[in-house]
Amino acid sequence: MKKTMLSMLVLLLCYYSNFAQSAGNTNELQNAVARLDKASGVTDYEALEKEFAGIAARQADWLPYYYAAFCNAKIGFLYQDDGERIEPYSKRGEEQALKAKALLDTATQKKELSELYTVMSMVYRTRVFINPMTYGRKFGVLSGQYLQKAKELSPQNPRAIYVDAWVKYYTPKMWGGDKNLARQLANESLAQLQHATAGTAPHWGKAENMELLSHYK
Amino acid sequence: MKKATLQYYLPVLLLTLLCDIAAGQQKVSGTVKNDQGAVVPFASVSFNGVAQTQADSAGYFSLETKASGKRVLSVSAVGYKPFKKELVLTGVPLLLGIILQHDTRTLNEVSVSAGSFDASDKAKGAALTPIDAVTVAGSNADITQALRALPGAQQIGEQDGLFVRGGTNDETKQFVDGTLLKNPNYPAVPGIRQYARINPFLFKGILFSSGGYSALYGQAMSSALIMESVDLPEKSSARFNIFPANWGIGGQRLAKNNRSSYGININYSDQSFYNSIVRQTPDYFSGPRYLQGDANLRMKTGKTGMLKLYTNWSYSDVGMSNPDIDSNNLKDRFQLKGKNTYTNLSYRDFLSDNWKIDAGIAFSYNQDKTVNQLADAAGETQYLPDEPFRSKAFYRNINTYFAQARAVFTRMFYNNQAIRFGAEHFYANDKGVRNDTNLALTDQLTAVFAEGDIRLADNLAARIGARLEYSSLLDKMVIAPRASIAYRLKDGGQFNLAYGIFYQEPVSDLLYSNRNLDFTNATHYVLNYTRKKNNCFFRVEAYYKQYNKLVKTYPVFSNGGNGYAKGIELFWRDKRSVKDLDYWITYTYLDTKRNFLDYPYALKPAFAAPHTATIAIKKMFQAINTNVNVSYSVAAGRPYYDIRYSADGDGYKVFDQGKTRAYNVLNLHIAYLTRLFKKGKWQDFSGIGMGVTNLLGTRQVFGYRYSADDGNKVAVTLPATRGYYLGIFMSIGIDRTDDFLNEHL
Repeated sequence: MKKTMLSMLVLLLCYYSNFAQSAGNTNELQNAVARLDKASGVTDYEALEKEFAGIAARQADWLPYYYAAFCNAKIGFLYQDDGERIEPYSKRGEEQALKAKALLDTATQKKELSELYTVMSMVYRTRVFINPMTYGRKFGVLSGQYLQKAKELSPQNPRAIYVDAWVKYYTPKMWGGDKNLARQLANESLAQLQHATAGTAPHWGKAENMELLSHYK
Repeated sequence: MKKATLQYYLPVLLLTLLCDIAAGQQKVSGTVKNDQGAVVPFASVSFNGVAQTQADSAGYFSLETKASGKRVLSVSAVGYKPFKKELVLTGVPLLLGIILQHDTRTLNEVSVSAGSFDASDKAKGAALTPIDAVTVAGSNADITQALRALPGAQQIGEQDGLFVRGGTNDETKQFVDGTLLKNPNYPAVPGIRQYARINPFLFKGILFSSGGYSALYGQAMSSALIMESVDLPEKSSARFNIFPANWGIGGQRLAKNNRSSYGININYSDQSFYNSIVRQTPDYFSGPRYLQGDANLRMKTGKTGMLKLYTNWSYSDVGMSNPDIDSNNLKDRFQLKGKNTYTNLSYRDFLSDNWKIDAGIAFSYNQDKTVNQLADAAGETQYLPDEPFRSKAFYRNINTYFAQARAVFTRMFYNNQAIRFGAEHFYANDKGVRNDTNLALTDQLTAVFAEGDIRLADNLAARIGARLEYSSLLDKMVIAPRASIAYRLKDGGQFNLAYGIFYQEPVSDLLYSNRNLDFTNATHYVLNYTRKKNNCFFRVEAYYKQYNKLVKTYPVFSNGGNGYAKGIELFWRDKRSVKDLDYWITYTYLDTKRNFLDYPYALKPAFAAPHTATIAIKKMFQAINTNVNVSYSVAAGRPYYDIRYSADGDGYKVFDQGKTRAYNVLNLHIAYLTRLFKKGKWQDFSGIGMGVTNLLGTRQVFGYRYSADDGNKVAVTLPATRGYYLGIFMSIGIDRTDDFLNEHL
């Protein structure tokens, strides 16, 4: 009986707490994105992913899902050499990215869609890391297709350009890799990122480009 | 249990008083927790497949519906199995306590794996893929050659097939999509290894069990090689390869609606030109020549069904002349012509959400025609009336007709649990002659089997099964129990235990002359530990195997033989430490003795070396588009015996015995890859492949043959010190480069 009473109380509370939430979420997202800008290791991204997923569940907005998927993609990239561990993150990232897509108006929100497709390309790239020989054929192609779409929707998207640079850097020459082009693209992406402003809109990429360019020294 | 039911349906009458429910609306609310009692936040809740709401961070959800009557409530969250429950909506508010089960497929899964290497196209990290397994340098597109680089298998240079854990090559059976591949290799030629008829790149899954395999398979005392063929190809394509001794052309077409495909391949190999450049020890007077073709048809049926037809036919001709061991001036001329067809039709489908069927039928026809003669230096055939020469002139022609039908039903339960059961029937009919003697046998073998996958705890799984087999030829029925358990540790390591009894009918050659035989059998006990981490894979396995009722041919034809095998095997694979380098190392320790056939007492058999080790290395040089593949195997010396019938009344005796020199072989394969057409719809993947087997030119001794009077002892060795190949390959339409370069390893 005690349990039932408690449940009732929770029920009532929920009724009235719904109103207050929307305003809080923007701040919450802002805080989480600020911490994402400083994140580096798997534990950072794991904690942030949970937070973004939590925010996503409370409001109908594509951004928290987008960031949650991005965190999962980052974890996949960090686990690149440990194929055994990637799959759950990769699958989760895929689910979140699809949820984000459902919340976007694909006809008008071209820039946002380009950002999302960039992250989807990364998510499918992590699937390749599980075992390039067997997963590469399907998911490598899928990853490439999403990147292509991202670039078509917004050719100036510095994050799409970065992922392109990454792919060009790590793909063997015979399969279309080009290290010089990769450097050029990374620099181009950095130039575009000059206009980036902190906020909740996607603005990551600087650290990633710098890391890629550091291989040339 | 009672408490849970109460929670699901607890109508909260009080709630109706407190909440302002509109007429006809019903409130359904609840909390979502996992099987360990912890709150699961943000689960999605839907009614009859229509999303309704999402639980909050405390796992609480609440929704209102105008619906009444029976509705299915679904709750799902990432990492958990979907929860479904039928509710009866009567207008009374419901407060539910929902418990989600961990979905082990996305987490650290415990899976039963003792005794086997599972090479699947879904392999993660350092687990083997089919391509990894079959692309060991020196394997010549023969799956059994390639699998010799895995622990448990012996390095046997003069015979084909797999010799696993003290077993003969007859004790390993190959299965394609469930049905038996009756004659996987070209017919055996004494002293010279022959190759597989089937292209190993046909398979998307290869399970190599060196002990303790599932009750779904039988009639193999040592090992089962369970292979699953690919479904539809990704694109239409054409391909060819030209190597001096090996030509091939083929293609496959995928229908526009992506629901069906067909393909055809033809391969021809004539080694006489090659043998004129690289001298071979037997003097080949015919061939060796091999012609092989295959065709396939694959189609999706309905939503989830898959129907596959595969057919393979082949012809071979090997004629060779060796100096006769019992005389100075005679030649022993041996010729074997083989014909084989194999057809397999398989079907699989989901009958409902929880039921699955796997069915198949297979037919095969095989003809082995052997002629052996003695000839003098001028090539004239000689007929000598006395032994040991008399029995060297023989003619043998065996025709084997084989058919099999099989069906397996699977009922799936939550938590990856399942029950499988089914039945199969094998028909085999041999007709032939050896000189003037007719050889014939007909066997009807029926088997029924069942097994269950049971999850005892989150980290503890078991597979328990049994198999009942009846053979009309032996008129015997046997029951084979099988069991294995897997226990997963927190760090990702896993312990596996397996036990089973494996029955097998004696080989046809023994049954031609004696029908009063029983099933031979082996009992396996296997303990194994595996750990996969950071793209590395470690495995250690220890086993004990007891052979019973092996066939003795002397002093009386009986099932009076027996034996044992025990050993420890190690496997280590590392894909991470050096970029673009993949290597594995195996070590096999084997202690085995058996008393079978004409052995006078229990002996270490001639096909068993106590220590075997292999290192297989694959390195891609990205900058020069070149793939280098090396394998190096070493094995301690194998025992050899001169067992003959003694005229002094002692029966069969060991007249001489010893141990061969240690074996070591280094194989190298290099492939240069390129693309000739870089633009356009059709893309090509081309290259040059080259390789050398036994690169170091080590003298290999596999055993000795003895003359009848003991005076002459001849080493069984390689037909040529080294083997070479160099050729080009091209595939247009689809990236099949891997297949091509690997086919010629």
